[in-house]
Amino acid sequence: MRHAITVSNLSKGFKRYHTGKPTTFMEAMLSGLRQMQPIEQFWALQDVSFNVAPGEMLGIIGHNGAGKSTLLQLIGGVGYPDKGKIQVRGRVGALLDLGAGFHGDLTGRENVLVTAIVAGLTESEVKQRFDSIVEFAELKQFIDSPVRTYSTGMQMRLAFSVAVHTCPKVLLVDEFLSVGDLSFQAKCLQRIAELKEKGCAIVLISHSAEQIQELCDRALWLRQGQVVAYGEPEVVAGQYISEMRSQTQQRTPNRPAQLTDSGAELRINENRFGSLEMEITNVKLLPLDTIESGESLCVEIEYNAPQAIKSPIFSIAISQEDGQTCLDINTLDMQVPMTIVQGKGNLKLQIERLDLKQGNYFVDVGIYEKDWAYAYDFHWHTYLLTVNSSYSNKGILAPPMRWEINTLPVLRDLSMIN
Amino acid sequence: MVTRSADSGLQHRWRLPYLWDLLRSLVDRDMKLTYKRSVLGVAWTLINPLLQLLVFAFVFQIVLPVKIPQYASYVFAGLLSWNWFQTALYQATGVIISSRSLIRQPRFPVAILPIVTVTTGLIHFMLALPILIAFLLIDGIQLTPVILFLPILQLLQFAFTVSCAYFLAALNVTFRDTQHTLGVILQLFFYLTPIFYDLKAIPKEYWYIYALNPMVHIVTSYRQILMWGVPPDWMAIAIIAGFTAILWPLGYWLFKRQSHRFVEEL
Repeated sequence: MRHAITVSNLSKGFKRYHTGKPTTFMEAMLSGLRQMQPIEQFWALQDVSFNVAPGEMLGIIGHNGAGKSTLLQLIGGVGYPDKGKIQVRGRVGALLDLGAGFHGDLTGRENVLVTAIVAGLTESEVKQRFDSIVEFAELKQFIDSPVRTYSTGMQMRLAFSVAVHTCPKVLLVDEFLSVGDLSFQAKCLQRIAELKEKGCAIVLISHSAEQIQELCDRALWLRQGQVVAYGEPEVVAGQYISEMRSQTQQRTPNRPAQLTDSGAELRINENRFGSLEMEITNVKLLPLDTIESGESLCVEIEYNAPQAIKSPIFSIAISQEDGQTCLDINTLDMQVPMTIVQGKGNLKLQIERLDLKQGNYFVDVGIYEKDWAYAYDFHWHTYLLTVNSSYSNKGILAPPMRWEINTLPVLRDLSMIN
Repeated sequence: MVTRSADSGLQHRWRLPYLWDLLRSLVDRDMKLTYKRSVLGVAWTLINPLLQLLVFAFVFQIVLPVKIPQYASYVFAGLLSWNWFQTALYQATGVIISSRSLIRQPRFPVAILPIVTVTTGLIHFMLALPILIAFLLIDGIQLTPVILFLPILQLLQFAFTVSCAYFLAALNVTFRDTQHTLGVILQLFFYLTPIFYDLKAIPKEYWYIYALNPMVHIVTSYRQILMWGVPPDWMAIAIIAGFTAILWPLGYWLFKRQSHRFVEEL
């Protein structure tokens, strides 16, 4: 089979400079050009090989700084490999920082023209496709208004529309699926699927193992520029997730068992995992840790971050004693805005009603690094929740419900006659 | 289907009709952006040199009179050429930093960026040309066929400016104050180029250093063909052309390397 993208033994090196490397003439003169020399060279990518066939979607997974973006840029022809070879067949389209190329003072129409030509179309090709670009973006009424009057969502729609209308043979996607509103995302995904069917090879970067598993035909896992695994998405994503867990274990410092303010005992590597750069100091189940099924529950997490932590992810899960997960949610997926966290604070999850069957449950709470790279602090099977109910139930859910019995009126009539 | 390796991967973008469309659309965008929010619009292209001319005429005809015949035409010809050089070079120097999103586009031919800036300058030059012709006619200058050499001079200045821009834009990635420093240097070179004074006023012993500035010859050549009806100094033009022919590929290589480095490392 002829591959759309062939990458063989690709390596790319970068030079690291002194942090005090002069950035202006004046500084360079004063420091006498001494600090202009790189202090070390490191490999951003090392001996990477893979193929993508037409109509195939490759997911590249890895933490920040693993070399994902560098790889994507090299495939796109920006920069040159130091070793190895990249072969790309056909027109390359890219969904990188959508809308960044737009100029606010120009109208949508003017921006579409320039952006599409920049993306590789000739002027006559753009004119042919113009109406369908605007239609896909659903911006017909606004196309002659300046782009600065557009919302971010509108700009992204337009940028996406331009990118997919260049009919690329190779499409490079950089983590865009995590932005924009849901209906837009769905539309994008559908369009990408269409392109794929027409034989477009797609490379998608993500740090979400689930996304890769869901969308891709193959996955490549990069760590510090090296391929850790390459193959079936389920397998690669599974390996990636378990690596993340063991990373957390390695990072967990040794420390004697300690008690939270409300008296729960925390033992490292038994029910507590994480680097403890940021700690969960206390977890309260409010109003009580015993509730009636269908009552409300509030989980309050008190934390302490001695150093500033950027955009941590808070996660709460409720599971049965046998490990069955009933609820697993986090602040990232629910798009709770998180900025830099420092010092002490608390965070509450208010559950309006908890319709669980009666029984004992564990409430697991965790704080994770912003890319899910590892846990800062994760308390596992530490907080017990008891749910009472007036009847027994063999399933999981116990929503508000009642039986309605309609007695047959015929019988009653008969008895009246009697 | 053609197989492309990493080195020749840029080839499909090098189809001439495509590059022509790209150049036109980017120049068009630049023009629109420059004038989108100003009331007078493209008229600024004319007003700016006219105001400069007015000041020079006041200073050097009334305050400190210099004896140059047809002074308005003399200064205006110099100003148009110099302004094109100065504005284009200054803007093109920042072009890598300001075009990040374009450079990140797969297979975008980055080398076109300074060409876009210099072309935009050329269009402003062409728009102001009728005013210059009007000055020439008012000053009673007879236009001769040597005026047909004008495109050659423009081509030379174009190539020279683009070559310089390649180097300076590349340098600006490493030293972010290049553009700022260039602004100061250009201002100094404005005085070291015969825009508002007579070339004959340069004493002979300084000539050898003074004449190293290519813009001296380019500005003078414009006057030769437009005002004095004589062919330009071919010797000087050949030297500048030769110099440009060496500078261009070197600058081009450096520019491409630096622009890719710039988007890689951020």
